[in-house]
Amino acid sequence: MKKISLTVNKETYELWVSPKETLLDILRDRLDLTGTKRGCDMGSCGACTVIIDGVPKLACLTLAVQCEDKEITTIEGLSAEGKLHPLQEAAMEKNAIQCGFCTPGMVLSAKALLDENPQPTEEEIKDAIAGNLCRCTGYVKIIDAIKSVSRGK
Amino acid sequence: MKLPDFDYRKPVSLTEACEMLSSEEDARPIAGGTDLIPAMKYGLKKPRVLVDISCLPALREITLTEKGLTIGAAVTLREIVKSGHNPLLTQACAAVGSTQLQAMGTLGGNLCQDTCCLYYNLPPMTRQALRPCFKRGGDTCHVTKSGKVCLATYAGDVAPALLALGAEVTIASPVRERTIPLGELFSGKGETPQTLNRGELVKEITIPSKKSFGSYLKLRVRKSIDYPLLGVAVNLFPNGEKGVSITVGLTAVERKPLSFTLPPDLSEEKRIEVWMTYLADEAYKRAHPVANTSGYSPQYRREMVKVYVKRAIEEALKKSDEKNLLDSK
Repeated sequence: MKKISLTVNKETYELWVSPKETLLDILRDRLDLTGTKRGCDMGSCGACTVIIDGVPKLACLTLAVQCEDKEITTIEGLSAEGKLHPLQEAAMEKNAIQCGFCTPGMVLSAKALLDENPQPTEEEIKDAIAGNLCRCTGYVKIIDAIKSVSRGK
Repeated sequence: MKLPDFDYRKPVSLTEACEMLSSEEDARPIAGGTDLIPAMKYGLKKPRVLVDISCLPALREITLTEKGLTIGAAVTLREIVKSGHNPLLTQACAAVGSTQLQAMGTLGGNLCQDTCCLYYNLPPMTRQALRPCFKRGGDTCHVTKSGKVCLATYAGDVAPALLALGAEVTIASPVRERTIPLGELFSGKGETPQTLNRGELVKEITIPSKKSFGSYLKLRVRKSIDYPLLGVAVNLFPNGEKGVSITVGLTAVERKPLSFTLPPDLSEEKRIEVWMTYLADEAYKRAHPVANTSGYSPQYRREMVKVYVKRAIEEALKKSDEKNLLDSK
């Protein structure tokens, strides 16, 4: 076991972790941040996407011990003072959610894109969410939602 | 899926990392983990020690000198794309997996990725139904029943681009550093695709500073996380009066990435159709895709080699600002 300091959604946690625990294991099973979904657990579906130091990464392939001193944002960290993030509002308004399983990862991929490039083209949006699989919506509504926020900025 | 037990080490220097990899039994380096962690989750690899090299300063630099562009092994693919130093390399890195995988995967890790096979990259329960193949230490190949060797395919996107660019790789070890042409990093063996010895680690890649124009094309079923079913990189070096020197890199058609160059007598011909036909035919001869992947058939993939080589040359020519090169056709 190794003691690490993990900063998740601006809160710092001191945790004893085993090297074989992934960031996804820690977020869901130890910190109860179950908004980050366990989909394929093999790096293929993007449901476990979190933002680490401003960059979207897959929590299922990231060892928790490798996250020491890194800033992690999960879907729970997006809303501020009880108010949803504009991307979350847009997802509801544009019907970009059906079963909702892919939504946290999708929203975080979109957030990382918009933070870096506030006015992306449709191609850039498609590229940014290509690693997030959705089996319900057909992606059109999701792209609409992201576009609506990017224009609003 | 749970990972097997292992010890975790975080060295502070490259020398320490090499020493750990050399002294610890069954130790493996880890940086992004995008190739290794899924293999460990499937129980295909069970290293006893993981040596974390992701933050080593010696592996994290991109430097541009007279000699060329040098990129550390732990620089991520996303960082290479953002740096935009070399258009062909950028194109190849941007073709890897998804945004997330590019943000995690590193240059060294991508080059040192394992070979893939439909009959090897399987969850434990499915694997149980199959007799162990060569790659699993057995004595059979499920791809070609009469096969005498492992036919697992090397399917990295970055290697063909770097081969076409004439890159060299520097390998660190506890005793000495050595620099070799990138092609020598690959063994051509399905079971052990790299030629690295125990304790050795890819330190950096150097691309010679030579004006060139390149293009990378990738055949895949979906434009998202897929491995290439065929990858073709083409790089054109304008050679003044002597015409042009063209190098082609291929991936996903053999057990290692391949490369070859247009012979000088043909490059002096200065006729694009002659170059294209020669390079497309040569690529076709060298490519031997096998039925070890989902998606397209080996026959289709091999036929597409010719098409993609020609297309990649056309794309590279479009990027060329050398009027002489285009006028000379």
